[in-house]
Amino acid sequence: MMHKSATVCRLSPKKITLVFFLFLFAKAHSQIVNGNQIIYRVYAQLQKAKDYKVDATIKVDLPFIRILPINAKIFVKQPNKFKVESKSIAIVPRQGFDQLNKILSDTNEVTVIVQVTELVNKVDAQIISLIPLQDTGDLILAKLWIDVKQNLVLKSVLTTKLNGTILTEYSYGTFANYGLPDAMIFTVDIKKFKIPKAIAADINSNATKKVDKDLKNKKGKIIITLSNYLINKGISETVFIK
Amino acid sequence: MFFKSTYNELIKIIAKPRSYLGLAAITLIVGLILLAMKLDGGMYISLLTSPFEESLTFEGNLLNGNLVGFIILQMLIIHVPLLIAFVTGDLVSGEAAMGTIRMLLTKPVSRTKILLSKYLAGCIYTFFVLVWLAFMAIIMGKWLFGIGDLMVLKSDGLVVLQQEDVAWRFFFGFAIAFLSMVMIATLSLTFSCFSENSIGPIVSTMGIIILFTIIGTIEVPLFDTIRPYLFTTHMAAWRFMFDKPLLLNELWFSLTVLLAHIFVLLGIALYKFQRKDILS
Repeated sequence: MMHKSATVCRLSPKKITLVFFLFLFAKAHSQIVNGNQIIYRVYAQLQKAKDYKVDATIKVDLPFIRILPINAKIFVKQPNKFKVESKSIAIVPRQGFDQLNKILSDTNEVTVIVQVTELVNKVDAQIISLIPLQDTGDLILAKLWIDVKQNLVLKSVLTTKLNGTILTEYSYGTFANYGLPDAMIFTVDIKKFKIPKAIAADINSNATKKVDKDLKNKKGKIIITLSNYLINKGISETVFIK
Repeated sequence: MFFKSTYNELIKIIAKPRSYLGLAAITLIVGLILLAMKLDGGMYISLLTSPFEESLTFEGNLLNGNLVGFIILQMLIIHVPLLIAFVTGDLVSGEAAMGTIRMLLTKPVSRTKILLSKYLAGCIYTFFVLVWLAFMAIIMGKWLFGIGDLMVLKSDGLVVLQQEDVAWRFFFGFAIAFLSMVMIATLSLTFSCFSENSIGPIVSTMGIIILFTIIGTIEVPLFDTIRPYLFTTHMAAWRFMFDKPLLLNELWFSLTVLLAHIFVLLGIALYKFQRKDILS
């Protein structure tokens, strides 16, 4: 024992510094690997559903938009095909179903930062931020709250150049093993919505001033409830032709 | 006797070529709008949805007969008053200009009944102009573009009405638009009682509409107190039918203002017509 202690004591300050940095590098590398692994596992789970069709009820609760809840069918096909089919007009978030898939598909294009854990609906979720390596794309930052035990995204905040920031909360049920949610709640920032009278052709309305005052810093929600999943039954390409 | 007199007035309207100008103009303009929508309706839709496109996408048959009908009604309701005034502004002054007013007033019918029969005939003409507009806008629109939910862009947001919820709104919307046009018919008839030629009442009616529309559009505090009582402010009251929920208080106020204008102007017309000098 005495001999070993003496050996340690004989390490020069240079060597101690080297060991310290090696330790830091190893720690950082393990974090990257873990973050990438978590993302990969979530993505792999989502990839189990090559295609699916699902019944959706879309409820729009935005201060600027008055629309009744509507029923629709949603078709999704990997890697990036997506369609909403409805007799009614359906309003869905621009960063909808396929955006997350796109982001998760290539971890080489993003820096994965593992952050703290946080409780989301009583589930301990790992917060992971994804920052694109290139600044040429639309995505600025993706922040994901992931249930690492079930490989499920519980919550996401996507910030993009073109479409602003959107918060999405997911709840899962029967098809959690495919990573497919039963409900999604999108929270949309609506403070930028302003419609000129000339475009609205509503020249006699005096509502514009009132709207400007009332709708500062308000948020709206789009709630999509999903049921009757039909997974991996094959969907024709013609479905996605507009 | 009153209805026979009204029938005679209708025959006079039917016999005048100018009565068909309105219908022809509506056919031409609506035809052009339908063609433009068919060829480039997507552009118009993107204009409607652009304020929301930062965060949302719209799926479904957005460009449908209901939307096209609404757009046409919105565009044309500003111009239809000219077509109405073209005929109703001529009802009394035309008789004076042609020299037939003396013969007309020698009939054993009171002047009040003669004017009211002319007014009723003018209202019937107005009704047919709007029915033709409705046919061209909604029926032709649905035939060309199919059916679907109606997306109404307002300055305070967007209202999406489901297709089964639209027909009754169009019905009452046209009924309110009819009341607005009857208001124009009353105004031009009143001017017609003061004039000896047709041009004066038509130009005066359009002049008043343009003036009041400008006053109503300029957001100057000076005009804030009078704006709610201008009939032009309430000519677009038909749009209240496409609100959800219905703004009943605003709708009733608009209808009251329009009806008040109609009764006051008709009273002035009757007063003037009773005392109209037909001897000089």
